Amino acid sequence: MVEREKTRTDDVPLDDKAKRMRDLLSSFYNPDHSSAPKPPSDYENLDAINSTSFDPDHYMNVLVQKSNLEGLLRRHVEMAAEIKNLDTDLQMLVYENYNKFISATDAIKWMKSNIVGMQADMEQLLDKIMSVQSRSDGVNTSLFEKREHIEKLHRTRNLLRKVQFIYDLPARLSKCIKSEAYADAVKFYIGAMPIFKAYGDSSFQDCKGASEEAIVTVVKNLQAKLFSDSESIQARAEAAVLLKQLDFPVHSLQAKLLEKLEQSLGDLQLKTVRIENILRESNDPSKQGKPFESIPSTGHEVSVHGFAEAIRAYRVIFPDSESQLIKLAQNLVIKHFEMIKQCVKRRISSANFLGALRTIWTDVLLMDEVLSEASLADFSLEAGQVTVKKYVASTFTYLLQDISDALLKVKVSPKEEAEEHALKLALEASKKAVLQGSMDLLLDFRQLLDDDLGLLVKLREFIVDWVQKGFQDFFRALDDRFLLLSGRKNPSSQDQGLSEGAPGEKVLVGIVLVLAQLSEIAASFSGDGARGYENEHAFASGEIRQIFRSAAEKLLHHYINMRTQRVSTLLRKRFTTPNWVKHKEPREVHMFVDLFVQELRAVQSEVKQILPVGLMRKHHRSDSNGSTNSSRSNALLDDRMTQKGRSQLLETHLAKLFKQKVEIFTKVESTQESVETTIVKLCLKSLQEFVRLKTFNRSGFQQIQLDVQFLRTILREIIEVEDAIDFLLDEVIVAASERCFDPVPLEPPILDKLVQVKLARSKEQSK
Amino acid sequence: MQGSSGIGYGLKYQGRCISDVRADTDHTSFITGTLSLREENEVHLIRLSSSGTELICEGLFSHPNEIWDLASCPFDQRIFSTVFSTGESYGAAIWQIPELYGQLNSPQLERVASLDAHVGKINCVLWCPSGRHDKLISIDDENIFLWTLDCSKKAAQVQSKQSSGLLHYLSGGAWDPHDINAVATTCESSVQFWDLRTMKKTNTIERAHIRNANYDMKKNHILVTAEDESGIHIWDLRKPKSPVRELPGHTHWTWAVTCNPEYDGLILSAGTDSTVNLWMAPTSAEDEATSESIAESATQQADPLLNSYSDYEDSVYGLAWSNREPWIFASLSYDGRVVVESVKPFLSRK
Repeated sequence: MVEREKTRTDDVPLDDKAKRMRDLLSSFYNPDHSSAPKPPSDYENLDAINSTSFDPDHYMNVLVQKSNLEGLLRRHVEMAAEIKNLDTDLQMLVYENYNKFISATDAIKWMKSNIVGMQADMEQLLDKIMSVQSRSDGVNTSLFEKREHIEKLHRTRNLLRKVQFIYDLPARLSKCIKSEAYADAVKFYIGAMPIFKAYGDSSFQDCKGASEEAIVTVVKNLQAKLFSDSESIQARAEAAVLLKQLDFPVHSLQAKLLEKLEQSLGDLQLKTVRIENILRESNDPSKQGKPFESIPSTGHEVSVHGFAEAIRAYRVIFPDSESQLIKLAQNLVIKHFEMIKQCVKRRISSANFLGALRTIWTDVLLMDEVLSEASLADFSLEAGQVTVKKYVASTFTYLLQDISDALLKVKVSPKEEAEEHALKLALEASKKAVLQGSMDLLLDFRQLLDDDLGLLVKLREFIVDWVQKGFQDFFRALDDRFLLLSGRKNPSSQDQGLSEGAPGEKVLVGIVLVLAQLSEIAASFSGDGARGYENEHAFASGEIRQIFRSAAEKLLHHYINMRTQRVSTLLRKRFTTPNWVKHKEPREVHMFVDLFVQELRAVQSEVKQILPVGLMRKHHRSDSNGSTNSSRSNALLDDRMTQKGRSQLLETHLAKLFKQKVEIFTKVESTQESVETTIVKLCLKSLQEFVRLKTFNRSGFQQIQLDVQFLRTILREIIEVEDAIDFLLDEVIVAASERCFDPVPLEPPILDKLVQVKLARSKEQSK
Repeated sequence: MQGSSGIGYGLKYQGRCISDVRADTDHTSFITGTLSLREENEVHLIRLSSSGTELICEGLFSHPNEIWDLASCPFDQRIFSTVFSTGESYGAAIWQIPELYGQLNSPQLERVASLDAHVGKINCVLWCPSGRHDKLISIDDENIFLWTLDCSKKAAQVQSKQSSGLLHYLSGGAWDPHDINAVATTCESSVQFWDLRTMKKTNTIERAHIRNANYDMKKNHILVTAEDESGIHIWDLRKPKSPVRELPGHTHWTWAVTCNPEYDGLILSAGTDSTVNLWMAPTSAEDEATSESIAESATQQADPLLNSYSDYEDSVYGLAWSNREPWIFASLSYDGRVVVESVKPFLSRK
């Protein structure tokens, strides 16, 4: 353990030891002891052993006091080792110092012997340099005069040559003009310019005049060359450069040329106008079959070619005029597209539209070759996007217009009541409008998509999107339009409704039915047709179908509502006008039944034209045997009413209980029967409610009884009478008996007789 | 949809009208009367038991004639009004339930006052909806009467009267709960609004066949109307041109509508198709800013019909929310059956 401790003390305080050594050495070499930093007079500090103020006694005391024996012994060993080390270090230092001193002495001795012989060599060198300088001065002065003379002669010669050139200039220029070497002429003239400027007013006046004249002709010739289309573009470009060198105002020329270009553009547009005219004419039904391309393309293409050439030339001539040209070219494209837009407003077929687009695209490609910086392709792509979009939108609008036109046309025709199948025709026409119209539309768009025109290829994705969106919007708009036409929507909320005239009340009831059925058709079509076309893309056909389904339902309900409302007003009048408490004995069936039946027949004729026949559910009921039925129900009623008295309500309740609750209002289907019976049921229910609001005397009750009895008979002749209708008819009589002071029914023979009389009369009338 | 949730109570005869006894703050009770031309008619005071599972007959009083309209006084639970008919003539009266009720042997009702200024068919009597107020309105076919009622003196005096004008046969009315001076009356072709101070028409909504109208209890300017064939419309009275919202109503006529006194947009309607429909059709104030079409499309997404109670045997004419427990309503079908239902299950769904 001691061993290990010792090695550690050797290792660890090595730094400490080295530092102390350095300090010692420095104090040894440092002559001025006083300047050495005074170590702190900290007697306790064991490190202070090196300081001058080290007190050994004190140190010993402290050490002895502080350390134990083992510590003291260790300290002793350490110290002995340190002292030994210090001794060897000191010895080595002394040896080194001595060596250095000896070598320094050697060097000094060697230097002394070398320097002695140098002085004499230096003096000799100075003498020689002096003599070289004096000789070179002599040569210089002797040659000076001659050199000056030569320089003078040379200058004179140059001057003479220039004068000669100037005098020759007019002749040379004219020679150049003759040989059309305008470039040389301009070069000469520009070379002579500074001299003319300096001396033109005095000695070389004639010369200057002559050469300027020549240059004027040069300029003239150059200008002519620039403007002449027959010259090669290279030549024209050179001419432009030369003119520029002559400080000729090129800008005005440029402007002039640009004007010319614009003018030609204008001509081009005039031509295109003509093309569009042709295009429009070809849209006339008489010429529909004609292929489009053959008519305008030749003339048009030539002119566009010309324009492209001109632009190319211009560009070469004035290389820094791109921006103007770009503007010009874009202008051309814009004008083109505007033209198409105009046409789109007027409704054109897709073939024509395609043709127009193709023309533009070829133009654009031509221009692009000439002027690629204008990035006309991109530019026209943008414009094309807008146009195609507009085209898609307008096509849909027209389809919508077609459909509502088809409907509105019918709206007028049924006014002639003789027209039996007006509604049917209406349905057919509008159905065709919807189906055929949409199909044609799809074919048209397909054509657009299939075309390999560059413009359209790039737009293909967009077009598909637009068409899809357009279709969805179209179906929605169609739905809106249907609702609008049906008068269900408040026209004030939609501006476009104003153009339809005031729908609202005036709308024909039959049309609503047509619309209902049409919605149904549209529902099935928008599902299938659209799917067939866009099967690879997500198309919200389900949603659209849903919209139409609900619209169809809504419209059907609306139709039923409108019809029942008319009957309701009829009934209301019937029940509010007379004083039922003072009613007279019934003598015949009241007129309102006739009116009701008349309304019903109207419904029937409308429904028959439009709606499909539903399943016949109750065949056994169709053979009308009114008398037996009526007597049975009469018996039931009699039963109920003879025991008039306290238990009457209980009676009816019990009767109802046993009768099994009849579902009066079932879901309406869009079949003839369903609609008819629903209307009848609603009307009968209204009748019951009206009866409940009144109070009757006996005669009043009997009148109701008679009316209902007749109604029961005649309804059997008109429609399928289901249980619910029978039930409702009974209910009307029950309601009347409840609201009567003295409910004594008519005797069955009298009732039958009155009904028969009425039946006979109504049959007579119908004949 | 579901049948057995309601609590039933049978009247002896047919009935058309039921009213919530608002002044009774300790119990949820309703008052109803029968409509029988030839029998002796009764007024039933019904209380919902504290457990909410039973309807108890709290009082049974004979009433001289068949009752066409009945309304409970909003500040005295013992006072109510009826409109009755002998079959030939009509009358209206204010009644007081005698003190000794509790025994069921048909004690006589005390007649506080007769509103006997009418000539034709009387349609309804309205109590002022906003608390203690001695004013009454009665509406007959052609006139509106404003009465001052003095219960202690047992007298009612006509304060003012106004004819509705030619060709306007009134059918009913509603008193604005937000404005004590505003009353709406329904007639064949329109809803008319009156200022009671001047008895002048202030506004009209042109709309045919309105059968019933009811003010929104929470929101000012909102009126709900029920129409024969075309369902329920919600109107903002500041824009009387077109309705704010449209609800499909009932398969046959929509007879009555009533707005919940507590929950905004909760509407109850009764129809002659033997159903009661519960609607949730909130009309937000922001509707004014947004265009109508947007509002319409947004509302179309949520079905406003919360529930259809279809367990009725006959047309439902009587309908009343309870003011004390606003999730409870009572309905009366023509066969004299009172059904009390709770709409709580449909409220929690929101």
